[in-house]
Amino acid sequence: MKSYHDIVGDGGSRILEQVAEQRTRITDGLAGVRHLVAVGSGKGGVGKSTMTLHLAGALRARGLRIAILDADFNGPSQARMAGVQGATFVPGSHKVSLPRTSNGIAVFSMGSVIPESESLEFESAAEGESHTWRATREFSLLGEILGSFEWGALDLLMFDLPPGAERTVQYADFLGPRTSFLLVTIPSEVARGVVARSVAALSKAPNRLLGYVENMSGYYCRDCNAIKPLFSGPFDAAEGSTSGLGIPCLGTVPFDPELARHCDRGFPLAELPDTPVGRALDHVAQQLLESLT
Amino acid sequence: MKFLCVPCDSPMKLQTVAPPERGSLSIVYSCPECGYEIAMLTNAYETQVVQSLGVRIGPDMGEGASASLAEGSAEAGKCPFTAMIPTEGEARPFDSAQGRPFDSAQGGPGQAGDPIAVRWTAAAEARLANIPSFVRPMARTGIERFARERGLFEVDEKILEAAREFFGM
Repeated sequence: MKSYHDIVGDGGSRILEQVAEQRTRITDGLAGVRHLVAVGSGKGGVGKSTMTLHLAGALRARGLRIAILDADFNGPSQARMAGVQGATFVPGSHKVSLPRTSNGIAVFSMGSVIPESESLEFESAAEGESHTWRATREFSLLGEILGSFEWGALDLLMFDLPPGAERTVQYADFLGPRTSFLLVTIPSEVARGVVARSVAALSKAPNRLLGYVENMSGYYCRDCNAIKPLFSGPFDAAEGSTSGLGIPCLGTVPFDPELARHCDRGFPLAELPDTPVGRALDHVAQQLLESLT
Repeated sequence: MKFLCVPCDSPMKLQTVAPPERGSLSIVYSCPECGYEIAMLTNAYETQVVQSLGVRIGPDMGEGASASLAEGSAEAGKCPFTAMIPTEGEARPFDSAQGRPFDSAQGGPGQAGDPIAVRWTAAAEARLANIPSFVRPMARTGIERFARERGLFEVDEKILEAAREFFGM
């Protein structure tokens, strides 16, 4: 009797071929992108999205062609922060054009599609059992976005990842070895512990782990024009101590309340270049570029 | 998944896929040698797993197979779950793969407040049909608004190009 591998094809649906065609569409769609960089952490609330947007801004200011894909489908924030919440997607001759920020960064975010008053829900034949299929569905959606939107010629496509160490690795699997990872942490032991798990998990993947950025590394007091401590963490990369993560520190970025206001209003960082935060982000951007070459 | 006719030792061929009913697909295979037919009936989990992959189940349309999962629908060639897909603009829960009607607060096609309907040329409509269905309603709404604001009531490819330019794409 014939076995599975003796039979060519699956009798009609060509499921494996369809999946392979999806992958080809993604590869073709990203052919003009020089670098794929995923900004993750594992930990939530450390500023991945803010870091992604403002690093993109710093890189854009250097003349690079940048796009952001907000891969946090369940908690998308890039649409609001980048000021493209009310943007319209326009069908091109083959693919969908992406809206751009005022400084020319192309952005896809589910926040441009779903109002903030609603959550992302998928129609399902298996009601109430989303734990059995939801991740597959979300990656299928990611594939559709990568294959259907017009990414064009880019220097960097940055992925703003959702939290979760396991999710970070799933993105590494899905996006493939071309994608490099940048991790974001804050100077707290709790955050460091979670990010360390992401480092451990990613170290088993073929992807490059570029390093980490310590966000909220103090806060910038405009009244004093000084950086003051925000956390009393056990390490402080700015002071030269080690995080224990075993990967390079690409820089430290202090918290700036003004930057937070900019994010809420969707204003670009370009208005804040000559501040400690602006300079810190520019330094990280430089380090990121050096690590990619 | 593959099916083998044991007496003939011959791979069975997919014949028909019925639209899903209460989360179950009925997929009929037959043996090309003896003509024996079997039906695979999926449970909701199995249906959902395949749906989540974003693939279609059914004979390859290009081979001119007689069986089809849904007839006469533009979506039929793309998705085996056509029966699950409400028409555009119909109220439904979000379906990322199949699209969500744009929230009425942000304006939806055909809603009250649209004084004059905007017509789409066949070429413009074809472009719209080519984009992922989950962004189609909001793209339609945004472009019609863009046209109306310019005193135009027909969307053609020139308007789409103008919209691309306007939105900085």
